[in-house]
Amino acid sequence: MKRLVLSAAAALAAFTFAASAAADPAHHPLYMPDARNMQNPALQPPPICCSPVGPPVAGEPAPVNMAYFGGHIQVVPKIYLVFWGWGQAGAFDHTTPGMPTYDPDGAAARMTDFVKAIGGTGWAGVQTQYYELDNGQEVHITNPANQFGGVWYDNTNPIHDNVTGLELAQEAQRAVAHFGVTDLHDSQFVIAQPQKFNEAGFNGGVGYCAWHDYTQPQYYPGVQPGISFTNMPYVLNLGSSCGQNSVNTAYFAGKLDGFTIVMGHEIEETITDPGAEDVINGQNLGGWYDYAAYENGDKCAWVGYTFGLSSPSTVPGGLNDITGNDGKKYAVQSLWSNDSAAGVGYCAGAGDDFPVTG
Amino acid sequence: MKTGVCRVAAVVVAASALLLTSVAAGATSSVTITTPRAGQSISLKKNPYLAVAGGVSFAATTPGSTAFYLRRDGCGTSNDNPHLSTTSGTDGGGGCGLIFNAVVGVGGDLDQGAFVDFPATDGMPLPLDATHAIDGAIALTGAQVGLATVDVTLEALVHGNAVTLGSDSESAVLDPTGNDTPIPFTIQPSATLDGSDLQALDLRVHIHGPNIYSGFISLNGNSYVHVPSYAASVNKAVQISVDDPTFANPTPARLDATGSGWSVAIPTPAIGKHTIYAESIQGFDTSAPASRTFTVTK
Repeated sequence: MKRLVLSAAAALAAFTFAASAAADPAHHPLYMPDARNMQNPALQPPPICCSPVGPPVAGEPAPVNMAYFGGHIQVVPKIYLVFWGWGQAGAFDHTTPGMPTYDPDGAAARMTDFVKAIGGTGWAGVQTQYYELDNGQEVHITNPANQFGGVWYDNTNPIHDNVTGLELAQEAQRAVAHFGVTDLHDSQFVIAQPQKFNEAGFNGGVGYCAWHDYTQPQYYPGVQPGISFTNMPYVLNLGSSCGQNSVNTAYFAGKLDGFTIVMGHEIEETITDPGAEDVINGQNLGGWYDYAAYENGDKCAWVGYTFGLSSPSTVPGGLNDITGNDGKKYAVQSLWSNDSAAGVGYCAGAGDDFPVTG
Repeated sequence: MKTGVCRVAAVVVAASALLLTSVAAGATSSVTITTPRAGQSISLKKNPYLAVAGGVSFAATTPGSTAFYLRRDGCGTSNDNPHLSTTSGTDGGGGCGLIFNAVVGVGGDLDQGAFVDFPATDGMPLPLDATHAIDGAIALTGAQVGLATVDVTLEALVHGNAVTLGSDSESAVLDPTGNDTPIPFTIQPSATLDGSDLQALDLRVHIHGPNIYSGFISLNGNSYVHVPSYAASVNKAVQISVDDPTFANPTPARLDATGSGWSVAIPTPAIGKHTIYAESIQGFDTSAPASRTFTVTK
């Protein structure tokens, strides 16, 4: 019964917001602000509704449940990793004995292990409550053990510092061809950049760690439409602002925390909202987000994070380690769960849930 | 946690430890192939398996110790760069460090809540000798009096994974009239880590105490850590590859008891001319490959 009510409300919301958004074609990627820029007005999602809502309070969940806006979701997620230019000359300014020169900090290895390990975890399982409507039927997100699509170290197509969003989208298109992907709906592409060649906004101090978007001709001219991709810079460059040592405080143990926290945020947002809130010719391509356009990752970003003053996992829904399906620990943020707290909703899945869970 | 009061004798011992031998880096190994002989013809029918053997020379793995000095390039700037180095010298950040600006008195514990990481910027990789204890000293200087506690944790990367070598907490009564007060510490790493090739190293230092007004880590060679280590990695291997100089699918060989010879039996390759490649590996060092070409007949 609850589902029926929610579906009806969601459908209404989808209609209302689609019309509203069509009148306001403002578009930018959906940013994950760094931990010091959570309330930066420039990094908030584009407005979709008539009742303005302030940005989330830093370190706290953003209240109000998410609704379904009518676009597709990723029912059987497949995540493709592209390490663009990591083997290119000048990609790193250091080496580590025993580590590959193209991955001296182990970041690529950690991200790859993480994507291979998230399938079947309780963290990824938070997503299974969300669905798309196909001919009026709810088709829910699944949580299969293998969500890893593949990995590509692209050292053929040259990267450079200050790459643009369009260039990232073009790389995502090359990845589609490289992997031979035909099911774009369920596929997403993480374009990970090496230490010395990153996206211009990340380099320029705009204040975000990463973003995800959806290719449409209006925004990415010349790029194949319908590709869900993530701009994943080398977040270690921004240190604690993008999560370094935010969960695991030891120097090496926590050095790569930000990679899995930030990439996990973008991956799971893309699963529930692969259309990235786009509204094209009045049709809302967005999946799940709240009235203020915050997605399931945005609403729980950096919860409990105090930059080392206290452990974030002591706060319900705070940053924490999860155990992957390979038995290893990975730092993540929690994800918004409409079902948590008896349907009120809360940040969940990181092993430190609010006591009342759905 | 281990706590003790610093004694002058301990200071002398710690200071003399600075004279310990530093481990040489850049050791290499080499390998030869003696069997099969160059140009040898081998009958596939009579020899379904082919014996491959040779000699190998590895760098000596003499136990010793490597000294790492706490260093800092600046004071209170983005260029402070606290780090460990195997060389000592005058530090731009010498005398810079912790300012507590408060006294909480006996029974309290003034804790700045901050620690300083000193990651190693050279001296890696390092083959760890875990049969001996790691020791060192953190020297405190500045306006100070009373009890001070130094917490140290040593962390390393092994096989790409973070490993805590150990930690210690030591206290000393500071002497406001002296130049600095070395506080010795000792860490006994797990025996299971003996022979591990450390890829990276970090010393985390945290200072606290009830009566410190301001305190500084004395640098310029006065604060250091000695890590027992082998002159070269104890992890040795020889591997061979048939017709593939890239060793994409290598076959491991068996080292003999002397460590100077190796052998392995492989299925004799198909009829025709073949080249066997061999390389020796010691820690992260791989030798130049040796090769031997031979012919397999019916």
